[in-house]
Formats: sequence, structure tokens, C-alpha cells
Amino acid sequence: MASYTKAAQQWATFARAWYLLDAKMQPPGKIAAATVIRLEGRHKPIYHALSDCGDHVVIINTRHIAFSGNKWEQKVYSSHTGYPGGFKQVTATQLHLKDPTAIVKLTVYRMLPKNLQRRTMMQRLHLFPEDIIPEDIQKNLLQEIPQPRAVPKRLDEYTPEEIAAFPKVWIPPKDFRRK
Amino acid sequence: MTGRGSPSRFLTAVLHNGVGRYVRQLQRLQLLFSPTAADARGARQFVEEAALDFARRHPDVVLYVSPRAGPAPLLLAEYLNGTVREELIASMTSEEILQLATKLAGQSGLDIIRIRKPFHTDNPSVQGQWHPLTNKPSALTVRGPRLQPQ
Repeated sequence: MASYTKAAQQWATFARAWYLLDAKMQPPGKIAAATVIRLEGRHKPIYHALSDCGDHVVIINTRHIAFSGNKWEQKVYSSHTGYPGGFKQVTATQLHLKDPTAIVKLTVYRMLPKNLQRRTMMQRLHLFPEDIIPEDIQKNLLQEIPQPRAVPKRLDEYTPEEIAAFPKVWIPPKDFRRK
Repeated sequence: MTGRGSPSRFLTAVLHNGVGRYVRQLQRLQLLFSPTAADARGARQFVEEAALDFARRHPDVVLYVSPRAGPAPLLLAEYLNGTVREELIASMTSEEILQLATKLAGQSGLDIIRIRKPFHTDNPSVQGQWHPLTNKPSALTVRGPRLQPQ
């Protein structure tokens, strides 16, 4: 404390941190829940609704999010252009093909508090469809937020040795005929 | 100030007054009263009965007694920080004036407005204030989450 002046101490307290979140195989709602806490600054002991203390969140791999159930076909995103007959409805798949960051963006936007700070907090959200981040954002990153769900591993991602070493309940005989 | 709401200040003491010794902040007390007016009767009684005793009990306050024909009897208090407070003592009894003078002698001269919080400290934290890297692994300060450890 002795080496700080009081002003510098205050700047340090209210400094903005940048968090990274990998959205690969994660449900959008879980991503949004983890993100909104940080955008609002609710993870800080100094949190106060009137002090603008939210952090930046960088979300990568938004193209590779995972919906459970048949939400890709069944979930509908509706909007209205404001003109007569301007009611638009697209499924999650259609929206995701059009813009791979749109689903995560909408989910976070809808989970943020509905007040005047919402647009400001959205400006501190940085979305990237793949895991390529611009240099200037990469330099700011401080910490990775743990993923809400464990990423499953596909069979083709295992090496043949690992597959061979997997314990089997029953080894078919050489002359076994599969139906 | 935004102009909305009542004026306010933070809790302060003048130059940590009273931490070591106490310095009375009232510098000068002037009693202005008419020698004839009816509403200055209490003021005249105060001069006759209590003024000498008050001056003796407050040796660090200069007490001026000015009989003069004026609009109203006044108690004019000047403080070390430059504040001047005028208190109207029309139609007050000697005891009430003594009470008021004692009150003025005990005040600091700071504005009497709403105090925002009933507590204050110059050292908000002994262990240092929280900042984003408090209780985080020190490796984070050197490299971000995605760079390879050296």
C-alpha cells in the first residue's frame, strides 16, 4: 500500500479484466450465465449496481456450440421488422448458418438486465466463430473461464492404440458373424 | 453537485481537531443589541447576568458586547475557518442566549448540512484494496490464458 498513491489504488480496483470462454460443445444458456455475471461485475467483491465495474468477455468457437434435444430444428427465433407482414421466424439452424455468433449474442443479451447499461455491457462482449482472436484482444486476455460442460471426445479423435486398449466386456471370436 | 437533492458533505474534523489537543474553533463572538429595544431585553439581561461568566468560562473566545441601535439583536460568531454565523436573538431570554452562545462555542464552523455517512476513515483498508488480481495465481500477470508456459 505504501508504494501506491490512493488514486492509483482506485484505478487498480476498477481496472477491467478480460476473460476468455471457449464455447466449444457448450450449451448457449450456460455460456450466457457465466458471461453475464462477468459483464455485470457480479463476481467482484466491490460490485455495486451504480458503479460501472463490468469486465470484458471474449467467447471463441461460437460456431461449435451445442444445443440439447432437438432445439436446432425446434427452437425458433422471432423478430419483427416493424413493417406490416414483417414478422420473421427462423429456426436455430437457419440463424446459426446466417451468423455463427448470433445465437450466443442473443442469449447473452436476453440474460442481461433490461436497463440502460445493457448495450454498454454488450459492447464488452467479444464473439468469435472460431478460435482465432485478433492480436490486440489476445494481448488483453487475463484468465480463461472454466467451461460449464465437459467437452465430449468423438471416436475419431481417439488414436487406434487408445481404442485397442479400451476394456471390452466380450471379445468376439474370429469366426463371429455380425448380423 | 448535480443540483438535485439537498447539499451534503462527508464527516470531517478540522485538522484532526481533538486527536492531540482540542483547539476551540470559535474565534470571536459579537453580541449586537439595542440598549432600548423591547426584543433585546433578554440580550441586555444576558450582558448583565451571564456575559462575564461566559467569557470567564471560554477564555479562548473573544466576546464583544456592542450596544447599538440596530434592526434586531444578533449573536455574530466567527470561526477559525472563516465561517461567520449570525444568530437572531430577538425576544430570547438570558438563559436561551447563554445556551445558544455555548452551542456556538462548541461548533467547528463547518457547514451544518446533511452528512452523507456517519463514519469516515482516512485509511479504508489496512491489507490493501481489492483489485482484479487479488487472490489470483501470479502467473496470470505474466502470461494470458492461451500462451504456452515458458
